[in-house]
Amino acid sequence: MPKDNPLLEIKNLHVRFRVFEGELRVLNGVDLIIYEGEKVGLVGETGCGKTTTIKSVLRVLPSPPAKITAGEIFYRGKDLLKMKRREIPALRRGEISAIFQDPLTSLNPVFTVGHQLQDIIKYSLKQQGYDHVSKKEIRLRAAVLLKETGMPDQERILKSYPVQLSGGMRQRVCISEALRVTVRLLLADEPTTNLDVTIQDQILRRLDELVEKRGTSILLITHSLGVVRNLTHRVYIMYAGNIVETAGTKDLFTDPLHPYTGGLLKTVPKLTGEGVSEGIRGRIPNYLNPPQGCRFHPRCDHAMPICEKEKPPWFSTGDNHRVACFLYRG
Amino acid sequence: MPKIEILSTVLSAKRVKLSKGWYKFSRNTLSVLGLITLIIIVLAAILAPYITPYPEHAGPYTNFRESGQPPNLKHLFGTDTVGRDVFSRVIFGYRFSLLLAVVVISLSVPPGIVLGLVAGYTRRRWLEVGIMRVTDIFLAVPPLVLALAITAMLSPKLLNQMMAISLMWWPWYSRLVYSITSSLRHEYFVHDAELTGARKGFILIRSILPNCVGPVLTKITLDMGFVITLGASLSFIGLGVQPPKPGLGTMVADGAKRLPAEWWMTIFPALAIVFVILSFNLIGDGLRDMFAVEEI
Amino acid sequence: MPKDILWVDHLIKYFFTKQGTVRAVDNVSFSIKEGETFGLVGESGSGKTTVAHTLVGIYRPTGGQAFFRGQSIGEDYSKRSKTLKKEIRIVFQDPGSSLNPRWSIKQILELPLKVHCLTDNKHRIGRIVELLRMVELPPNEYLYKYPSGIGGGEKQMVAIARALATDPTFIALDEPTSALDVSIQAKIINLLMRLQRKLNLTYLFITHDLSLMRNMASRVAIMYLGKICEVAPTKEFFQKPLHPYTRMLLSSIPVVSDEEEGLIPKRVISRGEIPSPVNIPPGCSFHLRCPEKMEICTRVDPVMVEAEENHLVRCQLFLATNRTK
Repeated sequence: MPKDNPLLEIKNLHVRFRVFEGELRVLNGVDLIIYEGEKVGLVGETGCGKTTTIKSVLRVLPSPPAKITAGEIFYRGKDLLKMKRREIPALRRGEISAIFQDPLTSLNPVFTVGHQLQDIIKYSLKQQGYDHVSKKEIRLRAAVLLKETGMPDQERILKSYPVQLSGGMRQRVCISEALRVTVRLLLADEPTTNLDVTIQDQILRRLDELVEKRGTSILLITHSLGVVRNLTHRVYIMYAGNIVETAGTKDLFTDPLHPYTGGLLKTVPKLTGEGVSEGIRGRIPNYLNPPQGCRFHPRCDHAMPICEKEKPPWFSTGDNHRVACFLYRG
Repeated sequence: MPKIEILSTVLSAKRVKLSKGWYKFSRNTLSVLGLITLIIIVLAAILAPYITPYPEHAGPYTNFRESGQPPNLKHLFGTDTVGRDVFSRVIFGYRFSLLLAVVVISLSVPPGIVLGLVAGYTRRRWLEVGIMRVTDIFLAVPPLVLALAITAMLSPKLLNQMMAISLMWWPWYSRLVYSITSSLRHEYFVHDAELTGARKGFILIRSILPNCVGPVLTKITLDMGFVITLGASLSFIGLGVQPPKPGLGTMVADGAKRLPAEWWMTIFPALAIVFVILSFNLIGDGLRDMFAVEEI
Repeated sequence: MPKDILWVDHLIKYFFTKQGTVRAVDNVSFSIKEGETFGLVGESGSGKTTVAHTLVGIYRPTGGQAFFRGQSIGEDYSKRSKTLKKEIRIVFQDPGSSLNPRWSIKQILELPLKVHCLTDNKHRIGRIVELLRMVELPPNEYLYKYPSGIGGGEKQMVAIARALATDPTFIALDEPTSALDVSIQAKIINLLMRLQRKLNLTYLFITHDLSLMRNMASRVAIMYLGKICEVAPTKEFFQKPLHPYTRMLLSSIPVVSDEEEGLIPKRVISRGEIPSPVNIPPGCSFHLRCPEKMEICTRVDPVMVEAEENHLVRCQLFLATNRTK
């Protein structure tokens, strides 16, 4: 895996939202790198800012309430935040694609699946320079795409409307759409959260195969640690608008450093049946008035005086394992 | 928890709710503009006898020496064919329009809401279907035609006009409330109230109705405009406000004969109608935002 | 020896729609002892939510019977006694829609108290404060808040407080933490367990999360397309899963430690889609996806047998006549 050319690099991203009560300081300096061909996980709970981060990369943040106040997002060397509006569609068609949590709202209910898939194929082919591709050819490609994501009976699916399909099938259609061309980067925001466990298992396996086969990088966002354990090379843990730890997947699970990571791992109910842990005390912070210094310190059992004053920088503990916590200062 | 603490928490919670509502409303500058315009119009209409320069012109008054004057300093909107000040008559004319709107809405909205709630909530299919089919029948008749028929049957007065329009206005509300009620009927919070043992009437009025308030209020503001137009149309063809009373539609009709030379007799009353409708519509947008339930 | 507080006998609930008959609950029988947590596990279309909704009275059963403390509960809420409504309560799956968005939390908690006349006007607010304290929500902050102003976890806690308001004996918890994050889930689960011990509550706990079930329930039943496939005491259910569907479900769990990896059945790759409950396949409803399918499975629907002590399974593999030993 080539480690020297970052595909996506987010540097110190700060995003704020304007609301009635004031300003929500959601993202507080997010740093994230994805290399080519890598499978990266981003784990964080609801409200930590993962979706805001993705939306910033895709430049779909609703701009009156949201404001990017600092930071850069480099995609293959170019700063996405400085790109002009008209350059963005090209990016979305050929380079970066995304799948989201609720496939029912991602698909247009009044068009058949075939219609939507074919439209997307047509536009991405145009993007690559192929202007006149026959309808038959496009339809064939659509069927092939569906087959790749493991859907039987492709003809029937192409003729169906999204509401006629089950959640798992819809999500597979969305995956087909996202992988229609060999995109370089796939952003998957909780793609299987609403699906049944057996279907989730199938879809994630299939996604894994497709991504490996095409060499696409994937950023898999989820609140489930179990999901990233099997599927990713590296993991980022996010809390309240900050990345707090990153490591190779195996390392993170065998040696979680940040108190939040440790807390998360402990609170996941285990099949070994040792009971449910108490959870992490306290609540996620109010973004109107987030804690000074380390945003986790009010809930941390190991908080030190410096944690209340300064935001912890990255400390490296060797072999790609970094943690933003003063406990590892020495 | 001491009573005083509770009271202050209640008051501050209500205050927060109101100011948050205003915040959401005021995001729309146009809505605020509409609100201001409407307030001015309403105040002007209420205080008409005191603020208009010639309040006596809003009735049987003639002064043929002053007739046909274009807008000047003495008569801001000019005078009409019998010498009455158009400006004063327009302000008084707002009284009728606003009265019409208020009466029609008051008469048609409550029955519409009640029928919509009952039809949407009942488990008796025949009741639901019955109410909605009657609603459909009334909706199928073009409003102007129905209003014409009724007013013509009875004598052409403002009162009859108001009753006629009310009679065909309620179906819109029953349909709106019916659709909201039947979709909310299966929400968990309604089930919970039922399972807890609350009575049907309580559930309808306290659980479901509050969720209808937003769309209903928005529709009311938009409807005010329609009702005023309808009233003006009826007056225009002589079936509403009768001369010498200054109905806006009547004034437009009278002045129309004098176009284009003595344009002010028609144009100003027409503009007056446009302004009041516009302000209601603008408010409607803001209201819709105000009632939108947002999640954190 | 705790006795049975709820028992369900061949319960059937079908929905008759234009597309066909939805067999949501198809001949389900089980019993729950006082003070225990009975777990019901299944994926979408399994019927577990319908079972809960029928037991609490949202639906009237199409067939079969159910008894609570010896009293028949075979009707829906409109025909149930007030006592029954007081004793049996439910916490719904989606916190967003289980609280009326136009009511303040005080109003939400007030309703059950008013309906059952549990307190007089003067003491009502005190009881509401007590309920909020029971679910660890600071009363002065939350009394006058609205659901839109609080998070999912807190909404669920309000829903739990509402269920507790009538001093019930039995609470059906339908996926109470499925929409919530892991750390909030831990809080709520711990709260539920504490309340159960303190108030001697009986729970029907429904979830699709087997890891959670492992730590919550004393007995577990797994459902597929309206029928129960397997019932066993928790430890046995997880250590020795018998039904192929149970094994498939267990093997799909995304676990977080190697230790757990060792516990899940190997080589059972999940495959196939869950059929729609309108189109249930003939024979055993699971045969289309079953890795151990036999010829008889396509024709004959198996009956429940006691494969081991207290461990019931509904599968052709375990019918004595089919044992290939």
